[in-house]
Amino acid sequence: MEKKRGETIWTALDRKATAIAEFTVRQYRTRLSTWVVLGVGFLAISVVLLFYIDAMNSEIEAIDNDGDSYDWDGDGYVNGQEFKYGTDVNDPFSHPGLLDPPIEAEPASMYVNEDDYDWDYSDTSSTWDAKDNDGDCVDSSLLPSQKDDNGDGIVCNIVLRYDSMTKSYSVYADPNVDEDPDEDRYGKEAQHRAFILGVGKLGFVFLLSIFIPLFLATGLIRDEMTSGTMQYMTAKPIARGEIFLYRMLGYLAIVWPYLLIVCALLALVSGFMGPGDQFYRFGDLGVWFSILIAALLATLVYGMLFAFLGVLWKYGIILALPIAAWELGMALLSMSVPESSFLRMSIVGWSMSIIDSGAYLAWPDMAMFTEAGAWAGGSNDMSSFLFIGGNELPGYGALEWAQSDLGLGMGPYATTIVSILVLFSQALFFWFIGQLIFKSKEIV
Amino acid sequence: MIPDLAQEGRAQEQQWVPEPQAPVVMFNNVGKTYGRYQAIGGISLALSGGVTGILGLNGAGKSTLFKLLMGKLQPTQGEVRLFGTNPWKNPAPYARVGYVPENENMHDWMTAHEFVSTFARLHGLTRDEAKQEAERVLEFVGLTDVMHKKIGRYSKGMRQRAKIAHALVNDPDLIILDEPLQGCDPLARTTIMNVIRELGRMGRTVLLSSHILSEIERITEQIVILHQGKLLAIGNLHAIREQLDNIPHTIEIECSNAKSLAKDVLNLEVVHGLQFPSPTKLKIFTHHLGEFHKRLPKIIVDNEHDVMVINNPDDDLQSILGYLTGGFR
Repeated sequence: MEKKRGETIWTALDRKATAIAEFTVRQYRTRLSTWVVLGVGFLAISVVLLFYIDAMNSEIEAIDNDGDSYDWDGDGYVNGQEFKYGTDVNDPFSHPGLLDPPIEAEPASMYVNEDDYDWDYSDTSSTWDAKDNDGDCVDSSLLPSQKDDNGDGIVCNIVLRYDSMTKSYSVYADPNVDEDPDEDRYGKEAQHRAFILGVGKLGFVFLLSIFIPLFLATGLIRDEMTSGTMQYMTAKPIARGEIFLYRMLGYLAIVWPYLLIVCALLALVSGFMGPGDQFYRFGDLGVWFSILIAALLATLVYGMLFAFLGVLWKYGIILALPIAAWELGMALLSMSVPESSFLRMSIVGWSMSIIDSGAYLAWPDMAMFTEAGAWAGGSNDMSSFLFIGGNELPGYGALEWAQSDLGLGMGPYATTIVSILVLFSQALFFWFIGQLIFKSKEIV
Repeated sequence: MIPDLAQEGRAQEQQWVPEPQAPVVMFNNVGKTYGRYQAIGGISLALSGGVTGILGLNGAGKSTLFKLLMGKLQPTQGEVRLFGTNPWKNPAPYARVGYVPENENMHDWMTAHEFVSTFARLHGLTRDEAKQEAERVLEFVGLTDVMHKKIGRYSKGMRQRAKIAHALVNDPDLIILDEPLQGCDPLARTTIMNVIRELGRMGRTVLLSSHILSEIERITEQIVILHQGKLLAIGNLHAIREQLDNIPHTIEIECSNAKSLAKDVLNLEVVHGLQFPSPTKLKIFTHHLGEFHKRLPKIIVDNEHDVMVINNPDDDLQSILGYLTGGFR
């Protein structure tokens, strides 16, 4: 063939590659099953989104973590007010109303959530001069030594220790400092983050990225072979490996825009609905971007894998189902034990590493933020003389479940790059053996 | 061929060069078995140029032969050559081949124009070139007026013609048609036959298969007869017939006056018997079919016989196969 001017690799690809890719896209479009699969996926994600919207719209009930709103002695003054003025919380005849001048009793609601966290979660310094907003540490009649529970020589502050082995923070707080956090503020933020991570990991990387390829990619080559229409394509001067690859391009041309749209929709809704004073949570976009990247790569790898299984055996979907089950196990494992080496033998594990890296970069305060939810203003501290609850802050459980550490022992950028490379090589590998088998397949 | 990405900015495709002077199609002792079933066994055949009819009953191995040629099946023995190249796992020679599979499934959701132009692009044509090419070949097979209708709404004959059109893009040197006339209405049949004859006149090598002798006869005289996976006969249809001349043939003629025709026919030395099943029907037994057919028209014209039908009940594939395989019906 004589080369014409302006002939480039792209114009050459535009002949065969786009011919097959366009053909494949149009074939998908004419099939009802395509729309059913994509529609069901969208519905499933939408239901989760509705739960999220509902959670964001309902106020989380405020809990009095330190018991300051109670009036133990029944003298009309809640404990918090009595602490502040140094009167006895257990003696009905000792309360601020008897002081000179007498102090008016304040409503109990003022002493719920009255001492919220005022730390900057992203500040990784080891101590804070945490503000004792309600003064029940600073103003109380405790001895200076009692005001310095953590023994750092500073009264009414909080010491934070970072354990580089477990990569977790421990909170050592003086009594009654930041002890009554705002459940709604913490819970909304935690639920918001848990939603993004959960929907990204289980919704996009697991549900959409496995089931869409399972239904759409398994038949990519196989259906044409069983119906006999592969006769036409394989009679043209084009290698079977190319047919496999370009059919795949057509599949991606359907699935990738779909993922982009669903992901953008969720990013939009959660960005506006999410907690915080800002108009739109631009900070979350990094996480959504990493979710999108992870889902795009996962659909690519699963697509190649399932198309290969379809070529391998007419009933390739039977081989695909145990793989899907294995991947579900790996998805759950990666959320609890992200450093497990089993995850390296999965697709889901690598994809989730990308999301974890994105979350790590977008929310650098994550480890401390999670620990704050577990600490819950000291209410989990059994040694505290004010120990009442024993519960974490609302939203903590969901967040703890949805988030995980970077399992590869590398930084977030390195983890992302390595994961992307691994996923690409997995796709390449499945394409390679897929086309190898396709090539030696007799088309009867 | 995958474009070589190392080439800077230019598409460089590895060129496939056909072997000069190699026959277009060559089978050398080719066999194909599926498990214990032998589809074809030990076929040796070389073909170049002209229209060749592959005749055989269903299951004789016609489609297997074509699929071996198109690299869709791997021979279990022997070697297949397409333009001197082994077609198994090598799509390069298909650039010069058009293949019409027997398979009736098509992409029903496409229009014929889309179907043909999509597959034209696989020959390396650009979008615009493919469109022009599709219009050209669809006109050649006579589908221009319906080419923007979905294939799913086509009749059997139109579908066959769309398949033929898709095989004719890029002007192939070899066209393989697997049962192209099967299930077609008479009009489509005539159109397709004309297309095939036209391709032969254009100097293309055409292989077509059929299990109906009269179909092939109307298109070409060059035939290959396959029987139970073996090559039974190859050559000119009439030459094959000549070999059968010492075997008695029966010819049935329907005419207005059987008796007067019988009188004239009996004068021919090649006729050795007559029968009158009815007043308007005459059965003639001859040893020399070719000679008889040569002289019959003159008798009819000279004596102004009113002949309605001439039937050669023996002259079908079944009986030729019977003679060739030694069985005497």
